[in-house]
Amino acid sequence: MDKMDRKEAIKRTAMLMGGVVFAPTMLGVLKGCSPSTGRWRPELFTASQAALVTALSDTIIPATDTKGAADVGVPGFIESMVKDVYSEEQRTSFLDGLERFDEKCREQTGSAFASLDAGAQTEFANTENRLAIENEAEEGPQFFLVFKELTMVGYFRTEEGATRVLRYEDIPGIYQGCIPFEDVGRTWSHNH
Amino acid sequence: MNLNLKAKKNNSYDAIVVGTGISGGWAAKELTENGLNTLVLERGRNVRHIEDYPTMLKKPWELPYNDRVTQEEAQHYQKQMRTGYTIRQSTKHWWIRDTDQPYEEIKRFDWIRGYHVGGRSIMWGRQSYRLAPMDFEANAKEGIAVDWPIRYEDIAPWYSHVEKFAGISGQALGLPQLPDSEFLPPWELNCVEEHLKESLDANFGRVLTIGRTANMTRSHQGRGSCMSRNLCMRGCPYGAYFSSNASTLPAAEATGNMTLRPNSIVDSIIYDEDLGKATGVRVIDAETLETFEFYSNVIFLNASCMNTTLIMLNSISDRFPNGLGNDSGELGHNVMDHHFRVGANGEFDGYEDRYYWGRRPTGFYIPRFRNLDRNDRSYLRGFGYQGGASRQDWRHAVRELAIGEPLKELVQTPGKWTLGMTAFGEMLPDHSNRVYLDHNKKDKWGQPTLVFDVEFKENEFKMREDMKNDAAEMLEAAGFKNITTFDDPGGPGLGIHEMGTARMGRDPRTSVLNKWNQVHACKNVFVTDGAAMTSAACQNPSLTYMAFAARSAHYAAEEMKKGNL
Repeated sequence: MDKMDRKEAIKRTAMLMGGVVFAPTMLGVLKGCSPSTGRWRPELFTASQAALVTALSDTIIPATDTKGAADVGVPGFIESMVKDVYSEEQRTSFLDGLERFDEKCREQTGSAFASLDAGAQTEFANTENRLAIENEAEEGPQFFLVFKELTMVGYFRTEEGATRVLRYEDIPGIYQGCIPFEDVGRTWSHNH
Repeated sequence: MNLNLKAKKNNSYDAIVVGTGISGGWAAKELTENGLNTLVLERGRNVRHIEDYPTMLKKPWELPYNDRVTQEEAQHYQKQMRTGYTIRQSTKHWWIRDTDQPYEEIKRFDWIRGYHVGGRSIMWGRQSYRLAPMDFEANAKEGIAVDWPIRYEDIAPWYSHVEKFAGISGQALGLPQLPDSEFLPPWELNCVEEHLKESLDANFGRVLTIGRTANMTRSHQGRGSCMSRNLCMRGCPYGAYFSSNASTLPAAEATGNMTLRPNSIVDSIIYDEDLGKATGVRVIDAETLETFEFYSNVIFLNASCMNTTLIMLNSISDRFPNGLGNDSGELGHNVMDHHFRVGANGEFDGYEDRYYWGRRPTGFYIPRFRNLDRNDRSYLRGFGYQGGASRQDWRHAVRELAIGEPLKELVQTPGKWTLGMTAFGEMLPDHSNRVYLDHNKKDKWGQPTLVFDVEFKENEFKMREDMKNDAAEMLEAAGFKNITTFDDPGGPGLGIHEMGTARMGRDPRTSVLNKWNQVHACKNVFVTDGAAMTSAACQNPSLTYMAFAARSAHYAAEEMKKGNL
């Protein structure tokens, strides 16, 4: 049985058993078959911006027992949104935010964010996350939270994020309005 | 001469239906099932059920840009995007490009259109409610506009008729202000909606019920049961909600009496001065710009409110210099929609061990509770609410102190229960709210364009105070926290319930259509889309258009058999 057949077989078993079998123990079996993401060639971002976006998104959502943001193409997704979907004003503000983020990182750590080791990246990102949450009410939209949310949008719309970190059912089949949380087990990737 | 006669014979039918949306599909079904050889004209491209729903099976990761459109694409849809939900990668092919058919706004009007076989029956919200006896009586009782020429009893059997075929799920309640339909089993409320329902009953004596929707909870009429994907707007592979493509047009096709002609824009109705009736329609081929004439004994206008009005205003003859059937001068006036986007949101503590399975294709409904037995508010008429509760998704973790692995763990537990609801209020008919033609500015097919001069007025704005405050008060009484209210009417049209521009009435001097939806002074032309509405009520109107279309088509067929048409 090749990998895709096995995945289908597991899915069908899950359906037969009422759709509640998706325990984390099965994740190891399923991990084998996510499609590889094509190589990303930045068009809008400079090399250093691309390195920062890759490092920061992967710090926000790193590989654990599931893949991280960089592994599933989130940096390329972020660029496509900023390049094609954002307005001119939003784009300028985002690129400016990237520059300032790295500038601050250099000032405080002596190194660009992408060049820090993983521990230092997490520490710096945690501080920026906290400051952004604290300052948002007074200062308005914060670059870090814009970036964090865009990373999460990008990640949880992938098959990895939607089905292996969160819960996704392509064809739920029925609607039940009030069931024990354990019957679902994890947050739905799509609420509506 | 000989050639013309032959062409006329080849282009002649018993009936012509203009438009294939919710009401046109019903007219086509009833006329063809009554044995009439029927030409069905659609201005847009053909859309075959299932085969032509290109995004119906796309998974989230198969849609670029997280389903949003690019800046470049958005340029073509500036007005169509005003809803905030219509233009997506998964649905953009169902909506027109504003640049194809521009219109002028003396005041903001959001004219949201989809041109293809099936029309907006593919993308509609599917909420299905009967109008009530009080809705048909209100104009006469209050001296507003003109009286409806029919009463609830006249249309009730036709509601039943269309409901049995369409498949409407819902809960029977026996409410006088919201008569029950012929229901399929209802969808379930979730825990927090159930909680609000109990609180409304205990604290206010008000009703909350599951939305009545044309999504089928079991197989029905040869179509499949809903799979709770809630991707309806892309077109349904199961045919599990009512659309012309899945339901009425296949029924019409099956009779062998339907000729469907897509890419056919009706320019105007041909009126024969000697015969004193309409004899056919002039058509522009949307692709080649060639013009044709088609002839028939009866003509059904179901082009959607504004385009039906456009065709009638553009149908000039010696008898009707101001547009077909416009003796009263009311054609194009009395534009109505529903006013909404006012209500409240709140968070609920509790039920943290409860969740739901599946994506339900409807929310809850709170039927009208104001001005029922007597008028004790500072405004006339009333409103209902539509809303839903859900648990916050991964977004609740954006503003949490979590990065990296802790973030990935945090998102796996959903956030708090939240509930939101918006009221839908009745808009009164007002002669000054109108559309008219600009013959100097043409669209890409050479058709005159519409000018909109429509606004919400005092009664609507007074009502909105209650619509906002009642929502907040009900959430507060039910123990919701962090309650916020909102009130942003947008432009009329945003409800995509535009109606009223060729109203029914008893008197030809003050209305355009009679009690059978016939043009008073040109009885072989029927208008059975939203244009016919004499008042709006506060319920979603599509079910009523279905009932009127079926009733009038049946009447037309009977009259033809008797030789009266």
